[in-house]
Amino acid sequence: MKFEDLKQGFSSFWDSMSEGWQHLRQTASNALTGFRPSEQTNLPARSQVDDTFYMPSIGWSMLGGDVFEDEDRVVVRLEVPGMDKNDLDVEVEGGMLVVRGEKRFQREESEGRYRVLQCAYGSFRRAVPLPVDVLSDQAKASYRDGVLRVELPKVRPEAPKRQTVRVD
Amino acid sequence: MSENRNLPQASGETRRDVGREVQRPEPALMPLVDVFEDGKGITLYADLPGVPKDKLHLQLESDSLTIEGEVSLDTPGEMESSHAEVRLPRYRRVFSLSRELDTDKAQAELKNGVLKLRIPKAEHAQPRKIEVKVT
Repeated sequence: MKFEDLKQGFSSFWDSMSEGWQHLRQTASNALTGFRPSEQTNLPARSQVDDTFYMPSIGWSMLGGDVFEDEDRVVVRLEVPGMDKNDLDVEVEGGMLVVRGEKRFQREESEGRYRVLQCAYGSFRRAVPLPVDVLSDQAKASYRDGVLRVELPKVRPEAPKRQTVRVD
Repeated sequence: MSENRNLPQASGETRRDVGREVQRPEPALMPLVDVFEDGKGITLYADLPGVPKDKLHLQLESDSLTIEGEVSLDTPGEMESSHAEVRLPRYRRVFSLSRELDTDKAQAELKNGVLKLRIPKAEHAQPRKIEVKVT
């Protein structure tokens, strides 16, 4: 089976427009996260992979995040697909919610070739800024459909701030 | 917050896909995939965070596979977004498949936002000429 040009072709102008825009926005807000594999991650060697873009040293993934708040709490949603929830470490440090994790690669049992290997594996760290002080010991986290959701009560309940900026 | 309001809506835009025109109504993000091939078939993994089972659509035809998923945002009702990393709420990716793959016997699992799809090769097929084109 030959896989000479596995091109990432965009099928239409609109697709590439929207994806380009999407990446630009997410890159600007730190969603682009480096994944560093270690021995434990168990990634295949370069020689076993036909994907020309494969790099066993580092992977990249957009771990998109959203922060919501109301008077009493802050809710952070972070996209981290394919994790075992025991491999996720969530902490509040210096006004940021810091999520660390290790995404392991599951080797196929049969003998074959990896034709495409785009997903990121290994250890990563993503920090999301929190808008206000929170009670980290009362935080609740859940992981579903590959999305980590952390709910943090505010120290001082208050409506989300609206900063007005005067334009001269 | 929806930045994608500013994006051109692609209604009526058609896209050629291996000799077939497909109507493309909305922009979508392409999920990252891993594709593994062995003597008996292919296994595909796609990252689809936030897509629950009922919002995942797989269209398997004899020569193509379409993966489509809608992100279910469980935004708590009264909450305001103070920081949203703009994301299109939809994933879509289309692959053309060799006819040697027996799409009738495909099996799919969705776990922790990752789709695992196994498509065996037809019994009589030699493990030689399969083309999975990434579009």
